[in-house]
Parts: sequence; structure tokens; C-alpha cells
Amino acid sequence: MALRTENSFNSRVKRKPLFIGFCTFILLFLVGSFILWQRYQILLDDRQSEMEAIIDVAEQNIDQSLKYSYSAALSLALQINEKGKIENFDELAPQLVDKNPNIDAVQIVPDGIITKVYPFEENKEAINYNILEDSTRNEEAFKAIQRKRMFFAGPLELKQGGLAIIGRLPVFKKNQFWGFVAVLIDFDNLIDQTGLRDLAGDQYKFQFSKINPVTNREEFFLNGTQEPDESYSEKLILPDGDWKIYIIPVDPYKPFYTIIPVAIMILVISGAISWIVFNSLKQPAKLQELVREQAGELAKSELHFRTIFNQAAIGMVRVDSKSGMILEPNKKFQDILEYSEEELKLKDYKVISHPDDLSENTALMQKLSRDEIREYSLEKRLKKKDGSLIWVRINVSPLWEVGEEVSSHIALVEDISARVMAKQKLIDNENRFRSLVENSNEIILIVDDKNKVNYYSPSLSKISKYEEIDFAANGVLHYIHPDDQQILRSKVEDAYVQPNVPLSDIILRVKDAEDNWFWANVTLTNMLNVNNVKGFVVNLRDITGKKEAEMNLVKSYELVMEQNKRLLNFAYIVSHNLRSHSSNLSSVLELYEAEDSEEEKNSYVQLLNKISKNLDQSLHDLNEVVSINTNIDIKTESLNVSNFLNQALEILSLQIKSSYAKIINEVPHEMEVLFNAAYLESVLLNFLTNALRYSDPVRSPVIKLSGYKEDGHWVLEVKDNGIGIDLDKHGSKIFGLYKTFSERKDSRGVGLFITKNQINAMGGTVKIESEPGIGTTFKVTFK
Amino acid sequence: MRKSICVIDDDVIYQKIIKKLIDQSTVFGKAYFYTRAKEALSDLAEIQTEFPSVILLDINMPIMDGWQCLDYLETLFPELYEIADVYIVSSSIAFSDKEKIKEYPGVSGFLSKPMKVEMLKRIGKRLK
Repeated sequence: MALRTENSFNSRVKRKPLFIGFCTFILLFLVGSFILWQRYQILLDDRQSEMEAIIDVAEQNIDQSLKYSYSAALSLALQINEKGKIENFDELAPQLVDKNPNIDAVQIVPDGIITKVYPFEENKEAINYNILEDSTRNEEAFKAIQRKRMFFAGPLELKQGGLAIIGRLPVFKKNQFWGFVAVLIDFDNLIDQTGLRDLAGDQYKFQFSKINPVTNREEFFLNGTQEPDESYSEKLILPDGDWKIYIIPVDPYKPFYTIIPVAIMILVISGAISWIVFNSLKQPAKLQELVREQAGELAKSELHFRTIFNQAAIGMVRVDSKSGMILEPNKKFQDILEYSEEELKLKDYKVISHPDDLSENTALMQKLSRDEIREYSLEKRLKKKDGSLIWVRINVSPLWEVGEEVSSHIALVEDISARVMAKQKLIDNENRFRSLVENSNEIILIVDDKNKVNYYSPSLSKISKYEEIDFAANGVLHYIHPDDQQILRSKVEDAYVQPNVPLSDIILRVKDAEDNWFWANVTLTNMLNVNNVKGFVVNLRDITGKKEAEMNLVKSYELVMEQNKRLLNFAYIVSHNLRSHSSNLSSVLELYEAEDSEEEKNSYVQLLNKISKNLDQSLHDLNEVVSINTNIDIKTESLNVSNFLNQALEILSLQIKSSYAKIINEVPHEMEVLFNAAYLESVLLNFLTNALRYSDPVRSPVIKLSGYKEDGHWVLEVKDNGIGIDLDKHGSKIFGLYKTFSERKDSRGVGLFITKNQINAMGGTVKIESEPGIGTTFKVTFK
Repeated sequence: MRKSICVIDDDVIYQKIIKKLIDQSTVFGKAYFYTRAKEALSDLAEIQTEFPSVILLDINMPIMDGWQCLDYLETLFPELYEIADVYIVSSSIAFSDKEKIKEYPGVSGFLSKPMKVEMLKRIGKRLK
């Protein structure tokens, strides 16, 4: 139905302007034509009037001309005397003809025979011509006689030549027909006299006709003119000669032609006006069409929006802003809340909202109603049909314009329960991780590439005692032990190259707030490119305890290894030493047996004696060495070094005296060390003996003894100006067993070996500094 | 002509013994004895024309040990191994010394003390 209405509406709208335009055209054309017609009639009337006027003038002129002829003829007729003779024709005729331009000739025709004529020359051939006997002409002569008055015959061909009209006046003498007095008027002359040519001008032509008396047919006398059409010609009937004069327009259709442009103009104007009318009528139709189309579009988009509204993946609901009543819930909204459309409709949104969220919601709603805001969004809880709660995010927009009355609003409702739950989970996780981080024994730092510390875990103060930390001022290395800085530097470089790779087990010494070093196992992860971090993550674990244990372990391992090495070395040395004695023994014995000479044999026995002594010395030395190395439970006590030194100097006083040695004793009296008494005596004697023994022969020996504390440990220094020793060559063997470096025969390579072992056994260390030709310094650091 | 021999060893007793043994072996003519490597080096540099055919070198010596002495010999006498047989003689049974000898491929051998007359004779026969 709707479609049909639309169609007829459509066609009517479409047809109407055309129809009205056409009607306008017809009407205008008719009116125009009527006016034109009127105009045409006026033109025709004008022409008729003009022709009539011309004819009138022509008539008067001809009348005049004929009157002159008549009076001329009458003048002549009066000259005829009783006897029927004309008396003074020759005087009178020239007067009449020459004086009167209307008359071309006069004739005296008694009894129908032309007797006299003036001007004679031109008309002499007509003399004696009897007109009454010529059947072609007598009819009119008889007519004149019959009517007893002048009658004009012709125009006719004259006997003497030329075309003329002849006015014949019958003359009666005593009631007896006498003859005629005739006046000849040249036809052309007659026409001239009428003035027709001048009157007609270019516009009109004229025609002259007469009913032929013989044939009774109308004859026309002017060339070039057709028989005039009665409808548009005007005629003048001259009874004196039965003539008719016609006036004919040269162009009978001229008035018609005149109106053609006007007619065309009318056509064009009416056409144009009707076109304008058509178009102006069409404009509203067009507009109407546009409106209709837009209405269609509107309907379409309304459908679209309705579809979107209903099919949207997001919940949408239209709500009465004043009452809070739900007007239109879409499908998704129903699904979210598990209510049907009917159940939701006319439910107050506040009923399905969680009471805790209502105050915020209504506050926003009031703002919206007062046009303070044009939209708002809110995360809130809604009650489903089964009473369970879901989290939604709503976006509310009013459906009224600013200033308009509050009507309804639309709310977009998105179920964000999953997101909220995920977020809550995230927060829980975050809290869990945070508590893990914050309760951990590791220091966790996030340091950006500008050395700014963006995060530090609470364990910072617990472990390092810094209340807060920032590397921006001093740099990271300020907190790192100089020996470990290179490790950290290279690891940081590595970290830059390998983002997100944890570089672990970086062992460093770190300075705490009390300027003490503690060992740390650091894991460094470059997370500069990770959005939420944007820095290096540093995990720092205090491993001082472990490290110390490890170092102790290493130390004991090194000690064991050292002792092991020493034992091996010892075994080797001992075997070498003993073997050299034993091989010498066997060789000498062999030689002894093979020897016959008593003298030689005696020398071998002496050699054997020597070998025996050497062997005894070796065994004594070895015993001493072994006793140091094996006696673990040797007694240690606090000993005054100064006292022991004095005792040793006392023992060596003879040697000192004999070698002119100068002893400078700067050992402080308070120097007390934990040592074994016998060892300390041995050590001091050994150093002093060495200093005296290896003195440089070119100068008298000076031995300087000093004692001081270094790093909390007592140090004893024994400095001489002896021959010295090339440490570059012999440094590694200086304390070795049986290592001797001098030409002296009494060097056995045992003293320093034993001294070092005794010091080491007491937990001390010994170092040597020496330069050949300058002197040697031994430095003993006590435990 | 009998070849010459050089003994470098700090052990005085051993020196006496080896002197006897060299005499008894009768394979050597001239014999040089040194208790200090340094002395041996300076002497050998002087007696180039009569360079010993055999050198018996001890390892364990004070100031300059056998190895250091051997280094000097090699630098001082580039043709050392062509003109002389060099033997390392030691009472040492240390593995390290036996290993170290591999660093000196020109050395003719390692001899363990005590020396015997037969050993000397064998060495004398193998003379270059």
C-alpha cells in the first residue's frame, strides 16, 4: 500500500509541473494569438481604409476629369446651330483641347460619322468613320443615344491608334438625334489625371476594368495585374462609363508577414514563461523528492542504528533520565543481566545497581541532567537476575541537546568482570611479589641508564645499612671495591649487549654505609627496553659469610697444597741428599776394595769419615725440619721480642765484635708476639747469623732491627748492608731446602728453610727484599 | 788420542771419587773438574781448542744449577752437541728432572749416581 501511494504521489508530483507548464503555454499562446489577431484585423482595416481613401481621391479626380470632358463637349455642342452646322470649331476646339490637359482630342460626329476632329493630324484617320455602323463599338453609342446623356466608351483601340476613352455626348436638334460631340481622353492620360499612381505608391497596384458591351465580360486594361481578389481589393464603379477601378495591395499578405515575428515572439515568450513556470513548479517537487529521499535515508539509518543497537556486541540501554526507568535494552544488555526485555523494561536502573555504587552514579547523573557534563563513564556493579554481581563499565550520553529539556540517555554497558578479576588477580600477584621482594634477603634495585635508582627494596637498609641510595651523584663504582670494579664494568657492558639476559654470579665487594666491605653475589639484568622497568634490575645477595667460609676453605686448601708441595719437595730433597751420600759411600767402598795401596785406602777411610759426618749433619737438619712440620701442638705464648733479641745478640756478641758489625736495635719494648720460645730464638739467631755471615767484605756490616705494627699485626724487620742476593734469579728458591747462593763452603741451604717453616708454623709470614751489593731486608709479619 | 772429559759438580767427595773412576776407566786423556758452574764456563771459553769431548753435569749446585749452566753452554757454544756429549748426572730421582731433560734434545743422557767405571768406559767408546 505504502509503495503505491508513494508511486502515485511521485507521478503526480512529476506530471503536475509539466501539465501546468503546458497549460500556461497554451493559454499564453491563445491570448497572444488573440491579440495578434486583433492586431491583424486592425492592420487589415487600416489597409482597407487607406485603399478606400485612395479610391475616394481617385474617384474625385476622375469625376473632375470627366466633368471637364463633359463641359468641353457641351461647349462644342452649343456651337452647333440650328442648321446642324458647327460654326467655329476650328477656333473653339484648340481652345478646349490645349487649355484642358484632361482632354486629348475632340470630335464632331454628326449621324455617327466623324467629320471634324482636333487635333487633326493625330486623328485624321478617323475622319468619315461611322461609328454607328461598327458593331464592335456602336453598342455604347447607342447606349448614349438611349440615355440621352454623355456616356464614356472604351477604353478602346482607336482607328488612328492608341488606347483611349471616348466620351460621346448625343446632340438632339428638335428632339431629333443629330449626332455626337466626342471627347477623347488618352487612357494613360486619364490614369495620370486620377493620380492613382501617386496615391498607390509602392504599396498598392490598381486595375481598370469594363464590362465588354458585346461579350458582357469584364475586361482589364492594365498590365501586370491579375484579376483582383474581391476579398482584399477595393473598387470604384464609375457609372458614366461602366468602369470599375480596383486598388490592390502589391503584397496582399503584408499584414500577415508583419505579425509573423510578433507571433514567433509570442510563441517564444509563452514557451519561455511556461518553461519558467514548469521549472519553478518542479523546484518544490524536486525539494519534495529530496525530502522524500532523505526521509528514506533516515528510515534506513534508523534501521541501521536499530540493528546496531540490537546486534551490538556491547550492551546498550536507553533510560528515562528523570525516572531512571529502562526504556529500551538491547539484546546484549539483556544477555549480560540475563533478564528478558519485558522484565527489564520499566525497571529502575537503580534497582539493578549495587547500592555501594549508587551515590557516585546518581551524582554523575545529576551533573548530566544539569548539562554540566555531556557524558560520563563509570565502573560499577550490576545485579544479574540470579542475584550475582558483575562488574560493568558504563558510558552514558544524553539524548537531549544542551538547553533542551532532560529526556532520556543512552548507556553503553560493557561487562568487565573478567578484566576486573584479572586486575584484582594482578594486584594480588603484585602484592605477593612485592612481599616476596620486600621480605627477601636480597637487595633489589632498579637503576636506569643515568644511574638513577628508581627502586630499592627494604632489604637495602637491612643489609647495607644505607637508608636510601642513589648512584647519580657518585656513580656505582664508588660503592665497589677497586679490585672488583673491572668485573662490574665488563658485566655492565655485557648487559648492554644482551638485554633481558640475567648475568648472574657477579661476585663483588660492596661498601656498606659504615665503610665496611661485604661480599655480594650480584645478578644484573638489562631491562632498559622493558616498559615498566626501564632500567637495570640488580639483585644483590650478601654472601660475606659464605665467601669468608669459601676463602677460609681456599686458604686451608692452599695451605694443604703448600704443605703437600713442601712435603713432596722435602721428600725429593731428602732423597736427593741421602742418595748423594749413599752413592758416595758405595763408590768409596768400591774404590776401597779395589785399592791395594794402604795410603790410598787410608784416604778412602778419611773420605768415608767425611761422608759419615755429612750424613749426620743432613740427618740432623732433616730432623729439625721434620720436627717443625710435624709438631702441630707446639706450645705458643706471648713473647717479648725485644728480650729475645737481646739474648740472641748476647750469644752472638763475639762474632759481632770480631766482624766489627754495628747493631741498630729499634725494636720497641712493647712488641709482644704469640710465638714458640725456641722458634723465636732460632729465627732471630738465623737472621742475625745470615746478616753477619753474608756481609760485604768492602764495608763493615750494619744490621738494623726494627719492629712496628702494620694492619694490626706486628712486623719485625732485619735489614743488613751485606752482599745481597739476585732475587730475579733466585727469588723462588730463596727459602728452599739445600738452596745455596754463595761461594761460602758453610752454606748448607738449611737455615732460611727452617726459619721460614718455623714462622709459617706460628701463622706468620716472611718476605725478603734484596739487591746484590746493597743489602738484604727480611720482614717477618707475626700472626 | 784419548778424549778429554769435564766434570761439573759441587760435591767435593764426589769429585774425588769420579777422578779415581776416570783414571781407572783409562778411556779419557785430559780431565777437567769444577765445583762451581761459573768457573767451568769461564774455563771452557778459554780452552776452546781442547774442548772436552764429554761433559758430566750435576743438577743440584749452589748459585748456578745444572740447567742454568746448560743454558749458558748452549749459548756460548752453538755447536756444543756436535763437539761434545753432554750427560746430566744426578742422585736425584725426581720425575721433574727427568722431564726437564726433554727440553734439551741435544743432551746425550741422564746418568744416575753412583757412577761406575763401566759407565765411563761405555761413554768413552761412544765418543763423537
